[in-house]
Amino acid sequence: MVALTAMSARATAEQPVMRDAVTEEQLVLAQRMARQLDPMKQLPVTQAVDPATLNHPQDLLSQSDLLCFDGIATLVPKHAILHIPEAYAQRLKITPAAHIVGWADFFAANRGWITTVEISRVQAEGKELIAEDSRKLLAKSHNLVVATYQGGPISLLAPQAPPSTKSTEPIKP
Amino acid sequence: MNAISQRLIPVLLATCALAPAQTATYTNFIRQVQLPSAVQWDATVAATGSQLSALAINPGGARFELWTVMSSPLTSYLLDTRYVGAYVPQATLVVRSEDPYSTIPRTRADRPFYVDVSMAGLLNGATDPAASKSVTLMHYVQSYGSGGTGVNLDRTQASLLTQASIATNGLQTLTYTVNAVPGAVRTKVRGEERFSVFSLVDYQAPASQLASQFIQIWPVADASIAGITQGMLIRFTMPLLTLTLNDLYPNSTTYAQVYKGNPALGTLGAVVPGSALVTSDSVPQSRVLTVQNYDSVFPDDGHWTMELLTVTPFGTDRLAYVSFDIQRIVTVNTNFSTAE
Repeated sequence: MVALTAMSARATAEQPVMRDAVTEEQLVLAQRMARQLDPMKQLPVTQAVDPATLNHPQDLLSQSDLLCFDGIATLVPKHAILHIPEAYAQRLKITPAAHIVGWADFFAANRGWITTVEISRVQAEGKELIAEDSRKLLAKSHNLVVATYQGGPISLLAPQAPPSTKSTEPIKP
Repeated sequence: MNAISQRLIPVLLATCALAPAQTATYTNFIRQVQLPSAVQWDATVAATGSQLSALAINPGGARFELWTVMSSPLTSYLLDTRYVGAYVPQATLVVRSEDPYSTIPRTRADRPFYVDVSMAGLLNGATDPAASKSVTLMHYVQSYGSGGTGVNLDRTQASLLTQASIATNGLQTLTYTVNAVPGAVRTKVRGEERFSVFSLVDYQAPASQLASQFIQIWPVADASIAGITQGMLIRFTMPLLTLTLNDLYPNSTTYAQVYKGNPALGTLGAVVPGSALVTSDSVPQSRVLTVQNYDSVFPDDGHWTMELLTVTPFGTDRLAYVSFDIQRIVTVNTNFSTAE
């Protein structure tokens, strides 16, 4: 009632506009007029294919691999896990009670069995290979290995084949 | 393909969009997707604030996706996306209404709203790429359905209403006098209208979202008074009142008031005790109130009017009213005569 009293006092001071609630007929008429005055019709019209239907981001879960251990789990981009020792294969599945945490928190709690390898942007794009020595070491690692860039997990694309130096067709004049 | 040398992109976290992440069962992720290579980088972020992206943007640009992930059941929700690139223009969208609610822009089915579109970085040189010279503004509408609140809404099912091209920098405001959410009964539509700015498709990147904002549209309230009928004569105590209130605006105060005389819009009367309902929520509310023992607001007999009013950010609306007569004085007419 305090609120109402305050409201009444304010109403007296400001003389608020009081009206009957809008009727269905009034609103139908208003919408008919609004359709004719659509402000976007003042702009150049386009007929582009709706990009929201073509380029919608895919579900994060379908674009990620899960790491789970000791009641917590995290997501890393697919192709960020470079090496999975058999002993840790089960840790790529989430347990029902696990709580999702960010990568930094998960890695801080699981440094004992996760190793990260920093890669460059060019390596992530598959344009440059990780050094052979490093690859050999990774393959023999007893830890699960995650590719990171500046500490954040990053997907490592498959190496691209070098462009052919031979032309299959002669250059037409 | 040369990378742009360490172009640093501020990663802004929209605090309003992070509302679901405030409980312990949600965790936020920002995923930077490089285009066209599709390399994905997990940019670890704090719950609020801003930081620079350490991963340089390719000429094809990059899409920043803000996700929140619910632990159980394991579900991810896309909260927002932004596309940035070397020559991609910057777009900002703000949707305003008369409701000052800051979490999500919202308004009522009969009220106007405004869309501020700000563009920067659009080029106009003859040799500039097409994607640097114009963008596409899309207007989508989507109904929540009868009684819907928008929870678990599949926004990919929104309908594209109109689209237009913008080729000039600066701010322009679009004024919508009333909503266009689909629905046969216009006073009862509930849903949202979304405005999105997309870049043009380029040889290195698909058309991508630069900015997006939506406004929720909630139905107009209606109400009825039962227990007192129009023209009713009340002789003794006031009858039990039943107030049926439907679709009260999320931020509203609704109450019954009485005053002496015929109905006169704008009259301030006495609030009926027990009839006030304050709503402060994120979705409309419906209630049935029973009111009794309210005789104290009728000091005199005579012709009275009772109104149901709802006060919202849009003003005060009269939802229902009824006039009646009170006659509590019993007049006894007798003859007194004597006989010798």
